[in-house]
Amino acid sequence: MRSRGVVLLANLLTGLALGFTVTSIGFGDYAELNRMFTFQDLRMFLSFFGAVVIIASVFALLRVRRGAGRLHAGVVPGAVLFGIGWAISGGCPAIPIIQVASGYLPAVVTIAGIVVGVRLCRWAGGRRLLRVDRGSCEG
Amino acid sequence: MTPYWPWWAGAVGLAVLTIGYTLATDRSFGVSGAWERVLHWRREAELERREAEFADEQALVAALDAATVEHFGTAPVASAPVASALAAPVSAGPAAAPATDGRRPLAPPRPAPLVTQAVLLVSIFVGGLVAAVTSGRFHIRFDMGAGYRHLVTGNPVAMVALLFAGGVLVGFGTRLAGGCSSGHGLNGCGRLSPVSLVATATFFGTAVAVSFLLWKVI
Repeated sequence: MRSRGVVLLANLLTGLALGFTVTSIGFGDYAELNRMFTFQDLRMFLSFFGAVVIIASVFALLRVRRGAGRLHAGVVPGAVLFGIGWAISGGCPAIPIIQVASGYLPAVVTIAGIVVGVRLCRWAGGRRLLRVDRGSCEG
Repeated sequence: MTPYWPWWAGAVGLAVLTIGYTLATDRSFGVSGAWERVLHWRREAELERREAEFADEQALVAALDAATVEHFGTAPVASAPVASALAAPVSAGPAAAPATDGRRPLAPPRPAPLVTQAVLLVSIFVGGLVAAVTSGRFHIRFDMGAGYRHLVTGNPVAMVALLFAGGVLVGFGTRLAGGCSSGHGLNGCGRLSPVSLVATATFFGTAVAVSFLLWKVI
């Protein structure tokens, strides 16, 4: 168990690094994002999957425990909704934050949408309106 | 304005921060999980408070155990383990011994403290601001750029409606799927977790299909 101070510092530094890196790669730029998803430009695509390859290699070397996540019924529908949302708004959960930080003020609306969506998911799970998953929405 | 990073620099940057976070915190990295906890602040804070109380109770029990040992010279042993130890064959003695040393089972990994998750979201903003300003890309504007105007809509009302709807889908979808491009994509795929591989293939595939529609059809 890590101390609270170490976890706090790690979150601070990781947040700074993530904001700096995704902005410098261009994930906040909708035109770049569409070029990635339509394979017109593989630069950002390779950044993402290159990172996954490096992480997987280092985790395997260091014997970091593998993910034990359960393949529950919410995974595929949730990922489909997320994919549609990402393509039309240009935002995964970190991106609208860096879009606002780059001066794209309408991304505040995307953040408001994320706030509503995240709360809606737990609300629907809590009221048992969603029966596909117990692991993530009610978590 | 400096150009965007080449692919390898981006890959190294994303990998270093994910690996660093994992090694420093012994936890899984994920931005949608941070949103989830920060947006349910009151309930999450209550859970944290109860966990802290429970930890205090455990510490109290451990202290009472130690005091009992000091006073009576024997460790307090619950009745069930005594019965099972008596019932066990004598030859199993050495093998059974570690079970009575009073160690508790390992607790499941706890989520990062709530305040650290709020710090993560705020520092993403600060990191993004520093990158935008130093690269000369920071520019206050009331649209989402030429790309959005050409590919999606140039109408401000439609833009606001689509950004909001997209945000709701992102928030709802990532929580339903249990993660986003950082939690499932970087961290989960890096751990070769089957659920993350399925989620990442699905959200990436869907985003590709919708982006082709926006580019070629709409």
